[in-house]
This record gives sequence, C-alpha cells and structure tokens, in this order.
Amino acid sequence: MSFISLAAMKKAARTSKTKQQSWSDWVRERDDPRIAHTKPEALDDITVLDLSSKSFAGCLCSSLLAEFGAEVLRIEPPEGDFLRICTPYGMLHKGEGLNYLTEGRNKFHITLDLSRPEGREILKDLVTHADVLIETYRPGIMDELGIGYEQLKEINPGLIFASITGYGQFGPMSQSRMPDYDNIAQARSGIQSGTGEVMPEGKSYNECPWAVPTKAGSWIAWSVAGTFMAVGILAALYWREITGEGQALDVASGEAYARLDDYAALWYYDTGIIAERFGNLDVCAFLYCFAPTKDGAVFLGGLRLEMWQAFVDMVGKWDEWGAASWTSLAPFMQREEQLKWASLIFEETRKYTNEELVRMSIEYAKKGRLAPITPVVAPVCSPEEAMKDANWLDRGIFIPIQDPLYGELIAAQAQHKMTESPIRTKWVCRPVGYDNEYIYPKYLGWRPSKLKELKQKGVI
Amino acid sequence: MAQETWKNYRENKSFKPPPLKGIRVLEVCTILLGPAGPAFLGAMGAEVIKCEIPPRGDTVRQMVPFGHFFRDQAPAAVHINTNKYWLGLDLHKPEAQKIFCELAAKSDIVEDNMRPGTMERWNVGYRQLKEINPGIIYISKNGFGQWGQYAEENRPSNDGAAQALSGYAWMSSFPGRPPLKSRLYVCDTYGALMGELAVLAALHYRGKTGKGQFIELSQTENIMRTMSWIWPYQQITGKVARPKGNRDVSVCPADTFRCADDTFMAIAAPAPEEFKGLCTAMGKLELAEDPRFKDHLTRLKEKNATAILKIIAAWVRTKKPEEVEQLAKRYGFAASRVYNSKDVVEDAHFRERGFITKIDDPFLGPYDEYEFPVMMSKSPPKVKWSVRAVGFDNEYIMKHFLDKSEDDIKELYQCGALGKWADVQGCRPPSHWDGKAGIIKARD
Repeated sequence: MSFISLAAMKKAARTSKTKQQSWSDWVRERDDPRIAHTKPEALDDITVLDLSSKSFAGCLCSSLLAEFGAEVLRIEPPEGDFLRICTPYGMLHKGEGLNYLTEGRNKFHITLDLSRPEGREILKDLVTHADVLIETYRPGIMDELGIGYEQLKEINPGLIFASITGYGQFGPMSQSRMPDYDNIAQARSGIQSGTGEVMPEGKSYNECPWAVPTKAGSWIAWSVAGTFMAVGILAALYWREITGEGQALDVASGEAYARLDDYAALWYYDTGIIAERFGNLDVCAFLYCFAPTKDGAVFLGGLRLEMWQAFVDMVGKWDEWGAASWTSLAPFMQREEQLKWASLIFEETRKYTNEELVRMSIEYAKKGRLAPITPVVAPVCSPEEAMKDANWLDRGIFIPIQDPLYGELIAAQAQHKMTESPIRTKWVCRPVGYDNEYIYPKYLGWRPSKLKELKQKGVI
Repeated sequence: MAQETWKNYRENKSFKPPPLKGIRVLEVCTILLGPAGPAFLGAMGAEVIKCEIPPRGDTVRQMVPFGHFFRDQAPAAVHINTNKYWLGLDLHKPEAQKIFCELAAKSDIVEDNMRPGTMERWNVGYRQLKEINPGIIYISKNGFGQWGQYAEENRPSNDGAAQALSGYAWMSSFPGRPPLKSRLYVCDTYGALMGELAVLAALHYRGKTGKGQFIELSQTENIMRTMSWIWPYQQITGKVARPKGNRDVSVCPADTFRCADDTFMAIAAPAPEEFKGLCTAMGKLELAEDPRFKDHLTRLKEKNATAILKIIAAWVRTKKPEEVEQLAKRYGFAASRVYNSKDVVEDAHFRERGFITKIDDPFLGPYDEYEFPVMMSKSPPKVKWSVRAVGFDNEYIMKHFLDKSEDDIKELYQCGALGKWADVQGCRPPSHWDGKAGIIKARD
C-alpha cells in the first residue's frame, strides 16, 4: 500500500463525505505517523527533569513523555550516564551505545555534578521550573544529598517526584544496596520461572542447559517499570490539576513486571499449585501454542471452541477428530489432554510452510464451514523478518529517523497512533552535555561567562 | 526522609482518594489486551463500566489454568478486571446501542478491542460517538491496528501472535533452540498499559483544548518498541540479532546461574563498583584488574563476556542461593533467586509494601492479588474488587448513571438489550453466593 500524500488527503477530505469513507481510510487520514509532525503535542506544557542513572526504566519513562512533547531535561553527571555504555557486545555507533541511542529521543541533554553542593543548588533552581522529576538512585541517596522529595517539595509543592528502583522506597528490601537491573527484575517477578522449555524425561541440566527458567530477550521488566511510572505520572498530573498538589511516586521494577502476570498468584493462592514451565504450550489457554512447520513455526490461537474447530476443519480433520461433537473447550485444557492434542496438531502443521498456514487461515475466514470464524495463525518471525515486513513498514513503526547528529537511524516508534495529539520522534539522541548552552540560559538566565566558569569547575 | 513520605502507606491507603476519581470509562473489551487497560484506570479510581454480551460475556471467563475455576470464576478474569461495574448489554440490539450512546454521552473514555469496524457496525464507533460527545477519548486496541494489509485482511490476532510476529519470542530463547513463547501474556498486558498512557495524555490534551480523539494501538507494534537495540543493530550491521538465552548482551555480567542446590540465581554487576564487589565476593579481586574485564565495554565483547560468565557460573554452582544473596547485599551487586509464583505471593517485602495484598471481596470472598504497582503518596491506587457475574450491576448502572425507572429496565430485559449470566462456570456467581453480597444499592 502506498503512502497517502497530504495533498491527496486534503482532496479526499473535500470530495468525500466522511460517511461514505471506509473506517480504515478515515482513521489513516488522521493518524498516519507520517503526518504526526503537523499536529499539536499533548504534553507541551509539561517540564520534566530526568536524573535517572543506570536505568533503562527511567530513560524510557522520560522518552514516553518526551514523545508527547514534554520538555525533558535529561540531567547526567559530567562523564555521562553508565547506561550509554550498556550496549550489545560493546558496540558503539558514533560514540553511543545502541540502547541509549534509541531512548535519548526528544530530550535535551545537560550535565550537572550532583555530588557537589553547587550542583545541587543548581538542581534546586531547575526544580522550581519543573512539573516532574524522575530519579532512579538507591533509596536514601537523594535524601542524603538534600534533594529528596521532602526537601524539594518545600521549593515546589506541585512537584511530582518519581522514583524507580529495584525494590521501592519502603519495605525491608528497600534499604539493601542492590542496584536495579532488568534481568534481576525478570527473575524476581515470578514470570521467568514459568517460561522456558520443559526438561525432557530422564535428562539433566548438564545435557540440556536450555531447559531452564528463561527470561525475555528484551529489557521488558525495565520497559514495563518505566511505562507504569509514565502512566502514574500522568495520573498524578491529573490529580494535581484538581487539587494543586504534587506527590511522590514509587515504582519497583520487579513489582511492575509481576503485575502483568495473570492467573499465577490466584492459582497458587487457591490450590497451592505453582505455574511451572510448559514450553510452547499454555497452562491457561487452548488452542494457544507455537507449532512447528515445514520451514519454521507458527503461533496457533483459538480461545473459543469455534476457533479450535475451525483449525481442525482447516487441516482436514473435522470428521476424523470428531469436531462436530465437541461442546466445550474445557476438556482440552487439562494438562494431559493438551500434551496429547499438541502432538496431533504438530503432525498436521509440519505438513505445511508458515506462509501456507497463514493463507489457509485467511481463506478459511472466507469459505470455511465456520467462516468468518477462523483460527489465529501467525508466523514466528526473526526480528529481521519483522523489520522487513511490508505491513509494519507501511504502518510507520520503522520509518528511519533523520537525526542531525547520528544520521539516518531506525528505532521503533509510533507504538500508538492518535488523531489529534500523536507522539513523534524529533531526534534520537544527543551527546553528553550537548544542550548545556541552550538549557541553562533558557531556564536560569546564565550568561556565557557563567557557563564557562561552571564548566571549568567541573560542575557541568 | 523517604521513610517519612511513605510511613504507614499501606495502612492509610483506604483513607485517601485515588488519582482518577471522577473519570468514567466504558469498555467493550474481551480477553486480556482490552480489559487490562480499563482495569489499570479502575485501580487508579476511574469508574469503569464493562459491557459484555450476555449471557456468556467475555471469553476470558473461560481461561482457566488446566481447567481450574476459582470459586466458579476464571483466575485470568479475576486478575484482569479490577474495580469495574458489570453491564450485560447485547450490542447487537438497537435498544442496547441506544443505552450505550446514553452512557457514552456521560463518559470520558471508551475502549474496545474488537476487529476494526465492528463497533461502527453496532452504531457505536468513534465516528458515531463523537457526534454525541465531541470530548470523548476513544481507544481501539488489537493485533494489527485499524489500517494496513493485515488489518484489511481482517486477520484475527492475540498475544501469542504478537510475540511471534514481532521477533520478541525469537529473541527470547537459547541459541540453536526453537523460539519460545513467554508464559506471560506480555503483548496483551503491556499493550494495554501503553494504551492507557496514550489515553491519559489525550485526557491532558482535552483539559487544555476540550478536544477528544481516536487512538489506536497494535500490540505487535507496541512490543517492538521495547526491543530497543535490536532495530538499529540490524540496520547498522546488516545482520540479524540473535538470541542468547538468559545472558543480557548489553549488560555484563548479567545472566541466570545454577546454584549448588539446582535452584536458579540471576546476577548483574556491570558498573565498576558492582563488578568489583562481585569479584571481591568471589574472592577473585584480581579479575577486576584483568585486561579482559577491565571496563564495561571491554567486558561486553563476546569472548570476554563468555569468559567471565563461565567463571561466575562455576562459583555460583558451589553456593547456596541465600549465600549469594547475602554477598550481593554486602558487596553491592544485584542478585535474586528466580522466584516462582509461591515465592512472589509469600514474599515478606512484597507484603509489607502492600504489593501482594489481601482482597476481601463480598462477592468472591478473600484472596491474594497484586496491587497496582505505582505507589502514590497522596492519591494511592488500590484494588478493591474484581470479577462479577455477567450483568451483575445492570440495575445499579441503569438507575445510578442513566436514571432509568423500574419499567424502563424491565423493557430493556424483555427486548434482550440487557441480560444476565448463563448458568455455567465462569459466568455465574460462586456457589456460596447468597443472592445479595456484592450488589451495589442504587443511590438516590
């Protein structure tokens, strides 16, 4: 599908009454990420100080606000944040680590040495201009420096003071010296333990080192923690509009990620059963698995009886498996039944390629016995295949960002699309202290001589 | 100081107002991606009306671990439906569509996760509702968004499809092994969370301009957003990113190791003082000076990372999990046992913080639940109740929100616009239910 030009859109809007226009065209005309820059920004009246340190959660949190137009001042120590060198295999691109490069987006990067009293006084001056402050130091550090919530709220009672840490601001573990990392939060959440391949019978860890609790490949716990905090910040802003009051917010990464878990806690509470690894099948859902194919694997989904029956029909087993007589999905959800059916299903899926199965599902929705009901069939893609998929390219998630410093760069964006005040990526990243000369004069009225003096002293 | 801010937070929560008090949300959502979003708003105090097609309602009511119902309810449904009001409304019926429009006129937010165009066929799509309420914020969430090839092919989707299509599952396995589906419905629940971020930003925008808007979210695109380095890595190197099991390739050392008792331990110690702390704990301080491990960027190189992880693995293999955790606290690196659901539910720290919280629900009885994970010092979110039988709050909603009379309500039942539960597990009240508990009395 080709990109719709602005002129064509305007013309379409003039010539067609919205009632005749299809829903999808109507939406696209208004929320295509390619026209996001022509629209207003939702949070352009909000100023955020991001002091986060060694934390992708903090960085993502401020990115999510900056994408909506908040003015984010990313405050780093003069040597830069450690997160900049948390990069796959130590790889740098034009001097930057790849993770930081994708989440420096739309932020003004300034430096400030908070270990010096002078630096902390400057921070307090900035706080008078800020709506939100994000920090990820170990609990107690900000207080010790005299810039904790209780101290800063005296300067700015409307301040929303957002802390993201491994274990939170209170509770017995909060005073431990342990830092917050994604793989730790994944381990703590209870989710890693239930994800992974099942140990084949009679085998040991030495023979099958992959049959262990397995974490997600991405920084998902950090991402979830940062996103929860961004949601909390916007809720706190809403609350502030009504009451005029700021407040302190506390997110612990392991808790944030655990909150996305579903049935496991209740299942344990009720039965004492622990959600164990079940490979590519699903403890709580049927039909719901990755199935091997001739050339890879597909996801199969059908959480309603009719969708499971449609799958059976689609692979030509309607009569043989007796699908017409089934009245409920419940019997299929038992552990032993799942295992039995999985082997029957896999025998069928191995006869086809991924592409063939996907097409069969789309065709079944048109002509099948149970049409338009059809099973969910989706190929298991490598990220390379995902990045080349015409559907996602068309939807604008991988539009290269033209960054004045880092060149043309692909970083995923436009994760949601909005008709009035959409997100956008203006730039991907900035070097350490890049915006000192712009931000300090803007907020604190510094003259060039003062900037020079503080730079020489190493405060900025 | 922080102790001051958070003193007795858990105990005082019930006496403080939640942040989104006064916001009203209407949802026509099923399974997880849809309902999880309004549940987050509900935990933060929004008034959420969940519309389900009676008598069976939401498909999630049949999502039960190995077939196990909890007091006749699906465990998945309990967790995903915090603080909602339950309306059995058959949107196929014109009378029900009219009720929906009346509710939408008095609401701030509408959410659905139907396939594109479904709500419009029911005459309650965004284009129809904005005529009634121009300030309405309307979000549609699904697998592929509202436009583009996959949306136009009307492909169905769900969490597993998004894990598969995005490359997320592919990146979450061991080298040489098949891609692995997460036990977590991560694309559903994380997608739902990201959707609410957009909703709240839209609410802020409406506060300034009075304008509502339409928002769409594809759960597949959303999970791609979290796969940070993978995309520029592939663009710059021209190579496909490869999975590495439990090793974090951007943080070194960071991996999951096996202890002496065959339990698992995650460790991370990348920053200089943390790495030094770990080396000290291992009694191998010389490693901190080793040229292969001298700084983070050097350590991250494939050969060096493999070498240091092997050394740590051999050390952890000789240790009990509590020993490693003690050393981590003492020397300032990060370590955690790989918790299972029992460990999480019983963890003293989680309980002390009120993250694991005991709900005492008049309808369901007592149970353990996760609290909303953003603790807010002045306006604490809180889980109060959860799933109800299909159509459980019909009368309350009709009277309290729409001023309907007994006769109006009777008519709505007669024409089938309103309905209640089917007498099947997952849809009906628990067997111990006395016919009254949990019913909200309509206010005058």
